[in-house]
Amino acid sequence: MKIINIISLAIVALLCAGVVLAAEEKQGAAQPYDENTYGPAAPIIWEKPVKAVVFSHKTHTMGAGLGCDSCHGGLFEQESGAAEKKPDFTMDKIYKGGYCGACHDGQTAFAAKTRCAACHIGARGLKRLRQAESDRTAPAASH
Amino acid sequence: MDIGKLQRLPSEDLSAITSRERRKFLRLGLTITGLYLGGTVLSLVSARRAEAAGGPVPATGQYPYNPHYTMVLREARCVDCERCKEACKTTNHVPDYGYRTTILERRRDLAEGTYETIFMPVLCNHCNRPPCVRVCPTTATWKDKKTGIVMMKPSRCIGCKTCMTACPYNARYFQEEKRAIDKCDFCWQARLSKGETTTACAAACPADVRIFGNLADPKSRVYQLLHTPDTIVWVLRPEVGALPNVFYTNA
Repeated sequence: MKIINIISLAIVALLCAGVVLAAEEKQGAAQPYDENTYGPAAPIIWEKPVKAVVFSHKTHTMGAGLGCDSCHGGLFEQESGAAEKKPDFTMDKIYKGGYCGACHDGQTAFAAKTRCAACHIGARGLKRLRQAESDRTAPAASH
Repeated sequence: MDIGKLQRLPSEDLSAITSRERRKFLRLGLTITGLYLGGTVLSLVSARRAEAAGGPVPATGQYPYNPHYTMVLREARCVDCERCKEACKTTNHVPDYGYRTTILERRRDLAEGTYETIFMPVLCNHCNRPPCVRVCPTTATWKDKKTGIVMMKPSRCIGCKTCMTACPYNARYFQEEKRAIDKCDFCWQARLSKGETTTACAAACPADVRIFGNLADPKSRVYQLLHTPDTIVWVLRPEVGALPNVFYTNA
């Protein structure tokens, strides 16, 4: 009796694993990330005025369903690093509805005054991203 | 010997002890055990003067020092820009291999399978019962009687590093150049003793995370922050019993 129980349990477990694996594969294959539709895959990183803030196109376009002109039509220039050079790229301006604050007002998206570390990855996060980047782009020296 | 008289005396064996009497004795024993083990490690009876009862903030008016220098860290506002670290380095000539203050990072899982990052600034807690001072064999480190700052005199330090081991907050490092332990002194040497009113890290913080001041002054911001209704104030590693003077809150 016991042996039969164990065998049936094992079969059920295997079946479950198969289903989960198949589902995961499907998810990955169904939605490829298209840079022409959704914007650059690499994260945008700002280091001024404070170290460091990360912006992911994927989260905002593919995730939240925004189009390019939602932001690139007054709020942000298309050229990367343009906002960083402007003197008013500050939290104060954002609280008043500028830049990210246009949506991050507590109504459309979470308020810019809350969840600071959702975008601010800090000096530690920056170091980690840079490390990951250099690991990816470096020629396969470890092989 | 009058056997009859003896037989009429009340029995002195265990059966004659009332349960009330037994409990009293047991309680005495447990109290003594608790006291012997430091009172904080194991006390099986309720300790009447437990310091944790009112939270980590000392009761108003019961500050051992004046000014009672304190730092309040509004943790959720910290974004790890590390301007405080840079300011500390230049102000106090901290080498690259050590720190007087740093930012730690941890993750907290959120409901939707995501997580949030929490940045935690740390520095010397200038404890009221500093374990580092207690272990120093040469009195190179001490608790300043006026300000409560845990001071350090490098010329007295023999570099035994016992204080580094004793510190529950990892707030000390060995400075090779001085051949002595170095640590945060709330900028006493670099700033406060020269008339400045705040530390370099607090002055450099763009997010208003680090608030420095005198807890003994009810008008100070640190006092106000630690006595705001409906907020939680915590300290790091309270179980050590060092009674730190660096407080954390999200008020």
